[in-house]
Amino acid sequence: MRAEVVYHLARRDVVKFLRDRQNLVATLVRPLLWILAVGFGLRRAFDPGATGVDFVSFLVPGVATMAVLFSSMFSAISIVWDREFGFLKELLVAPVPRATLVLAKMISASVTSLLEVSVVLLVAPLLGARIDPLGALFAIPVLVAFGMAVSALGITVASRMKTFEGFGGIVNFLIQPIFFFSGALYPLDGLPPALAVVVRLNPMSYAVDATRGLCVGVHHFPILLDAGVVLGTLALVGALAVRSFSRMQA
Amino acid sequence: MNPSPAIEVRDLSKRFGDVEAVRGVSFTVQEGEIFGFLGPNGAGKTTTIKMLCTLLAPTSGVLRLAGFDVTKSPDDVRRAIGVIFQDPSLDDRLTAEENLLLHAVVYGVPRAERRARLDEALAFVDLADRKKDLVRTFSGGMKRRLEIARGLVHRPRVLFLDEPTTGLDPQTRKATWEVLRGLRDRNGMTLFLTTHYMDEAEHCDRIAVIDHGRIVAEDSPEALKRAVGKDVVFVRTNEPAALCDVLAERYGLTPDRTEEGLCFRVEDGEAFVVRLVSEARVAVTGIAVRRPTLDDVFLALTGRQIRNGNGDAGRDRMRAMARRR
Repeated sequence: MRAEVVYHLARRDVVKFLRDRQNLVATLVRPLLWILAVGFGLRRAFDPGATGVDFVSFLVPGVATMAVLFSSMFSAISIVWDREFGFLKELLVAPVPRATLVLAKMISASVTSLLEVSVVLLVAPLLGARIDPLGALFAIPVLVAFGMAVSALGITVASRMKTFEGFGGIVNFLIQPIFFFSGALYPLDGLPPALAVVVRLNPMSYAVDATRGLCVGVHHFPILLDAGVVLGTLALVGALAVRSFSRMQA
Repeated sequence: MNPSPAIEVRDLSKRFGDVEAVRGVSFTVQEGEIFGFLGPNGAGKTTTIKMLCTLLAPTSGVLRLAGFDVTKSPDDVRRAIGVIFQDPSLDDRLTAEENLLLHAVVYGVPRAERRARLDEALAFVDLADRKKDLVRTFSGGMKRRLEIARGLVHRPRVLFLDEPTTGLDPQTRKATWEVLRGLRDRNGMTLFLTTHYMDEAEHCDRIAVIDHGRIVAEDSPEALKRAVGKDVVFVRTNEPAALCDVLAERYGLTPDRTEEGLCFRVEDGEAFVVRLVSEARVAVTGIAVRRPTLDDVFLALTGRQIRNGNGDAGRDRMRAMARRR
């Protein structure tokens, strides 16, 4: 596997992402809307005594992780797009291992989602969130790994889908439970037992937990468990993505 | 030069479920040849080209390309070939230069040579002045030329072209063919192409006529036409009924009535019309003799004319829709 090939393939996606100005602005603003509307809207309904931080500070790491989930998942639509517009054939006939193509896709997905995360983490303090800058820096690798895992899931779906509609349908079906059962919006202490089980089975819960622990000092699981689950998920889904992508025929 | 042929295919078959798209095809293409696969849509042309390009696994048969086994060492084959697909395969949100650069990197063109190769390829297809422009602003003909340029960046030994000039206007088609001939003449590149255009097949050194997944004839265009033999003669007259009788009684011909007059096939058409004019007592107002075309060859071989299907209409609509998003 040649690093230069991965770089150029990933660069292609990032260049296209940056070139599409309207989409870029919408993508970067969307998470801020969550902080403004949900954060300030529900602030008074939230009991700071339960976690020790105000709701906006509590929510920001959840929104950052959510941004990674949405943007990494949907970045895989470029595979469906490439198939529909023919570019996929150019990639599949190239003398490059399929795993290289998958890795490049995962990297470009996490780079673009990191742009969103950076905006969230830079703007949040201006909105009054108390984020530990050093902790936020340490949260970046966790979010990168999580973004790559999510994009691998997207690639797995996209490799089996022939249409935009099919991809959109499956992805929405996956993304909503992953998001809502993750603790991005609520603390994990004292949940009803059934919900607690579902949340514990959801890898995103651990990504949110690590990010929140590092950024605002509130967490439910040990950080090593968080990191282990995220990396394990990445390895598992990454392998699945390579397998699905390799089986695909143009 | 490598002594092995550019392409060697033996007993190649491909079945999709119950459908046998390619049924036991064999042929050999020598280095530096322009070899054409001629047949109607759905004859198995694209399926064969996809198997040769490592995009589709054959059901059975032997496929060797530039000496490499296509199923056993696909990456060696991929490095040795360039492919220009039937449908566009450029990234139209990138510039011409970016498309070519990505290709050069992926195919392992050394960094020091990239700039020169890109400029050379773009100049070759006359797009040097558009290299910084997004491909989406290009016309169909320009995109086609850019795809050809991209296929050349890694200097493949064999270039595959699936329906290379479909959907292009006659002028662009002619220009494209000049480019392709130049490649063979200047660089000794081997060209393998599929087409359902007869005039395009005329450009090939050799053609294989393919129908229902089988090769029904394989030779140079000239030899194929010679094999069909007879010239086509058109005769105009004000008394078609009388001339019909003469042709039938005297020469045993059954002419068709067409817009260009009565039409029939005979050996050595010119000599025949001289005899006809002197012997027949019917006033003739016009005569045309034409050599057999590949259309006639195809008709003689398969009993059908090559039809010009339009299976891609739905897909194009889908694309147009997707583009609006």
